[in-house]
Amino acid sequence: MMVEQPPTYRDPMSRLAMRQLLWLGALSLVGFVALMGALAWASSITGGSAIAGRAIDVETGTITRALAQEPPQLDSTRATDQASIFILGHVMEGLLRYDASNRLVPGVAERWDIRPDGATFWLRDDARWSDGRPVTAHDFVFAWRTIVDPANAAEYAFILYYVKNGEAINRGELSPEALGATAVDDRTLEVEFERPVGFFDKLVAFAVYFPVREDFYRSRDGRYAADAEDLVYNGPFMMTRWVHGAHVRLEKNPLYWNRDAVRLNVIDMPYVTADTGAVVNLFKDGSIATATLGAEQLDDAMKLRWNLGRYSDGSVFYIDFNFRPERLTSNFHLRRALQLVNDSGELVNKVIGLPGYLPAVSLFPIWLNGVEGPFRQEYPPPVVIPDLELARTHLELAKQELGVAEIPPLVLLTGDAPIANKQAEYFQNLFDRALGLEIRIDKQIFKQRLDKMTSGDFDMVAAGWGPDFADPLTFGDLYASWNGNNRGKYNNPALDEQVRIAQNSLDPRTRMDAFGEIQRILIDDAVQLPNYERGLVYVEDPRLKGVVHRSVGTDPDYTTAYLVENP
Amino acid sequence: MSVAVRFSPADFEPVTARRQLQVSSRPSLSYWQDSWRRLKGSRRTFASLCAVMALGAMAVAGPWVWSVDPAAQDIDQISQAPAWPSSALIVPPYTPWAAVTATPTQAGDVVTNLRLAEPASTQAVRLVWEPVVGAAGYVVYRSVYDTAPDRALGLPIGEVLGADQASFEDRLDLEPRRYWYSVVVTDENRAEQSAYAALTVDTVRTVSAGDAELRGWVEDATVLAPGDQIDLPYHPLGTDYLGRDMLARLLYGARVSLFIGVVAPLLFVLVGVVWGSAAGFLGGRVDQLLMRVADFVIALPFLLFMILFKIAFGIGPGESGVFPMLVALVLLGWPSTARLVRGQILQVRQEGYVAASQLLGARTGYLVFRHMIPQTMGVILVTLTFAVPSAIFTEAFLSFIGMGVAPPTPSWGSMANEGIRTMLSHPHELLFPALIISATVLAFNLLGDGLRDALDVRMRGRE
Repeated sequence: MMVEQPPTYRDPMSRLAMRQLLWLGALSLVGFVALMGALAWASSITGGSAIAGRAIDVETGTITRALAQEPPQLDSTRATDQASIFILGHVMEGLLRYDASNRLVPGVAERWDIRPDGATFWLRDDARWSDGRPVTAHDFVFAWRTIVDPANAAEYAFILYYVKNGEAINRGELSPEALGATAVDDRTLEVEFERPVGFFDKLVAFAVYFPVREDFYRSRDGRYAADAEDLVYNGPFMMTRWVHGAHVRLEKNPLYWNRDAVRLNVIDMPYVTADTGAVVNLFKDGSIATATLGAEQLDDAMKLRWNLGRYSDGSVFYIDFNFRPERLTSNFHLRRALQLVNDSGELVNKVIGLPGYLPAVSLFPIWLNGVEGPFRQEYPPPVVIPDLELARTHLELAKQELGVAEIPPLVLLTGDAPIANKQAEYFQNLFDRALGLEIRIDKQIFKQRLDKMTSGDFDMVAAGWGPDFADPLTFGDLYASWNGNNRGKYNNPALDEQVRIAQNSLDPRTRMDAFGEIQRILIDDAVQLPNYERGLVYVEDPRLKGVVHRSVGTDPDYTTAYLVENP
Repeated sequence: MSVAVRFSPADFEPVTARRQLQVSSRPSLSYWQDSWRRLKGSRRTFASLCAVMALGAMAVAGPWVWSVDPAAQDIDQISQAPAWPSSALIVPPYTPWAAVTATPTQAGDVVTNLRLAEPASTQAVRLVWEPVVGAAGYVVYRSVYDTAPDRALGLPIGEVLGADQASFEDRLDLEPRRYWYSVVVTDENRAEQSAYAALTVDTVRTVSAGDAELRGWVEDATVLAPGDQIDLPYHPLGTDYLGRDMLARLLYGARVSLFIGVVAPLLFVLVGVVWGSAAGFLGGRVDQLLMRVADFVIALPFLLFMILFKIAFGIGPGESGVFPMLVALVLLGWPSTARLVRGQILQVRQEGYVAASQLLGARTGYLVFRHMIPQTMGVILVTLTFAVPSAIFTEAFLSFIGMGVAPPTPSWGSMANEGIRTMLSHPHELLFPALIISATVLAFNLLGDGLRDALDVRMRGRE
């Protein structure tokens, strides 16, 4: 029987399909290019004339910028977030304020006197609310009582614990009227302290200490500061427009006592977005006058030849250990071994690689002031030089003390931001390479991480702390055994003793000595591993001058800003 | 008249049946032979089959061929694009540099004699200058572009405070290339002067002998003397944001991604086929019951069960969640396949040839495997090919939220998720995992398409 070979299978369909595929591919490519071209053309028509140049209007004194987040509301007694504090710093004024060089200058108070047991503030008579009524001492007393009143559950109530009975009222033991702040008359405010507080002048510049007018507060019926018209202003600017989630507009306050010093007329914020990419694109278009850059935009910024600036936002980031006795990290030698392989310079310079960031060597950041000069110059922190041999010796000691042949895996709790992730993986590799330790990364969202930190469910945690006021105490009491933010439950009577000195003394030298000692204990006892001090890189329209960037307080501050025609 | 009829004996021989009325002109092909013939014949399908096999081989053998540790961080070559091998100069270990101070002697608004204190390297660039009287501080800028044309100074690298400060050390993310440095004087209000001193610096890649040993580039650091050249580890596909070798990570990542991407769909499609064909074939109450169970399972939230399994298996933070992921995918993924297969079986059951087959005494197993499953093969393969990419993406998503692979174990999905952050500055970190995911998904899709054509009984014998 003759057997025929099956015919070779040539798949004509597939050739047709291939041709179709090529055609469709080419067609879609052409279509895409045409669409993009059309869009670019359309945007050049609309954008060329209308949008460009809107960032700054020198004639009317207007600047346009983006707002990263919308404030939840503008009630200074309930403010906690950066957006609220930024806007409040422009539309309200406390007893004192910071000037362009970060010095305390008179605000609503004309003169003040701070004693060990209390303080007196004499208010200026030309301080006015935006409806023309004078700002009085009663407005401060009412605001402060509102904050400590447990019925209002203000998160920042603890910052008024320095005022007499503040803590007892907040715990519900006394009525708000017992607060140690009294209006002697309309223009004299008398404050009694719970304990001596040497930096009360810095505290009253903080947004939570701003005044609130009682009659207006009550007339709003629970809607105080929920909208632009539900707030009465005493600051350099006032809010004239607030479209929630979309637009905030500040205009110069014509009744502000120091109105001649304010040179901008309008700060318009018609964009609310936290997307740095989008904000930088708005700046590129000339729609806004300033933008903060992320790491991805740096190359682009250099190519576009922008003038960049940087500043430290004041916060310090570090790795905290868990000191609960059942945790291995309560062992000093283990912590010491980790400390001796940690190199914050390598982390910042090679891994993070952002110009705003500084390698941290201490809990106390570089911008804090000491007695006369910078704190870190007066009290240089002990230097830890990475030393692999010594670290391994300490690791052996740790194993002996803990009675284990190998250290079991340690859990490093961290946040979900890209930079936290990078940092955690860097440490995972570093500790494995140098010490043979296995690190498990526990990545959690902020709220969850805070829960786990509070319940002590970690060995190490990547944490950070931003300052509330410009005194080393905002960092210095973090590891006191009674501090709720001491998540690792570090308990060292020697350190507690120094914190008490720093809290209760009025002599700057004694206090700074105490902080110097706290700094030494933190490093010598390997209580934490400092990572970096955070900074930001920004670009500003060259016609905008005099903007102040701060580590503590209103940031950025446009009160002293002005515009020039030709930079 | 009589007619004589003559018979011969041959006329009385019985007629034999002609056995072969037809001769087949082509050899008889079994179902599988026919399918294979069609599959082989389609170049597209055959190519995708080869690609899938190559991916499998890569996942199994790749890490042996390219035996670089995917977790090793080459801190000196972070986010390096694919490039030729490079070498570094051995230098003494880095020692902190004390800031240089000098009494300002000159007035003016710009520093003079800006120079390098020592040769510039990727370890550090040390600048010194003559300070000016009355300065509050100095700001140092660095750019990778020429600053001259329009005073675009680039990145503000650092600031030193005090008029007597006369030095700055830059260690930030230095690469072997040309940098333009500039120093600007600030006044007491921290306002910057418009004049600036500029210096062009070419950095050389350097490493200390100790670091070279620590990173495992040499066995013994003592054989290296300052001035020697050492070859750096070569990264053919570049490195990621922590200096880890992209090729090694892609090869290791293939294991996780393909394991999840192939095993999970295979398993849950198998479960779905059995479940669906049982429901469709048996019908009636059994069908009702089985399909209501499927409806119930389809309503279960995947993520919640993933978390429950993770806890049930006692997997803590920072440990790999690949196994619970597999279990969750299989347990929760099958109902959609089951529904499709049931529908198809119900349809096929009505066909005449099934009835005929039944009348001829075919048993249930024969009916199902001979008639029904081949008829539903198209549907099954389509489900399978769609399930493969979706499983790979599920793995990527779960790894991203910390439920999947634990760092530093790579998977393609987690690599893509990490790469997307630096898409504009270092596109290769996203490009390679994205390309290989796309290629895998495309290969599986084309293969599925071809398999459907090849295995479809209705296409039998056709070209």
